[in-house]
Amino acid sequence: MFEIKHSPDGAVLLHGRFDASQIETAKAVFEGITGSCTMDFQNLSYISSAGLGLLFATQKRLVDNGEAITLVNLNPHIREIFSIAGFDNIFAIK
Amino acid sequence: MTGARREFPRRIESLDGIFAFLEAFAEEHEFDARTVFCINLVVEELFTNMVRHNLGGADTVTLGLDHDDEQVFLELIDIDVEPFDETSVAAVPVEAGIEARRPGGLGVHLVRTMVDDLEYEYEIEDRRMRISVRKVLEK
Repeated sequence: MFEIKHSPDGAVLLHGRFDASQIETAKAVFEGITGSCTMDFQNLSYISSAGLGLLFATQKRLVDNGEAITLVNLNPHIREIFSIAGFDNIFAIK
Repeated sequence: MTGARREFPRRIESLDGIFAFLEAFAEEHEFDARTVFCINLVVEELFTNMVRHNLGGADTVTLGLDHDDEQVFLELIDIDVEPFDETSVAAVPVEAGIEARRPGGLGVHLVRTMVDDLEYEYEIEDRRMRISVRKVLEK
């Protein structure tokens, strides 16, 4: 199961498994992001290259307009995937 | 060695069933959490590439699992497809910044980095592609 919610302070909360079958669901939400925001991975258990690709495209669009996504609370496995993908250079990760 | 094998319909929606199959096998054989994450990722990347690129293939893709005390073995078999070695695509420039990065190739890069062996085979007679993986278990 995969869900995207918004916290009262405007953070984007990802829940569950972000695999290739969830791209259309995520794309619909990510396309609505127009300014800098925090994405909280506290409850995200898994991500593959499909999710990374969509995150990258969203970050690229935002950075081109002087905005950016900040990622927080990545579990160790997801943090490793971000490192292997070289996304340390693409995102601020806290 | 104790193996398992199952066929999955050639569509992205098969992923839920694939993950359930992988995790049941991993739980039965008490794989560590990092290995479970890794084999989920590797199989998703290889399977979704087969779905996207091997158009016109058989209705199903076969996923096989096996292991011994030291390592886990995965294989994906796709029949009636054209040869395409997805394991040998160009490296991704992971050191590059956001301006220089382009989409594509990231899944194979993750797979190559996370496993200990990755092999592609193609048999012309039955147009059969086999991708096999060996991953050493964490201690």
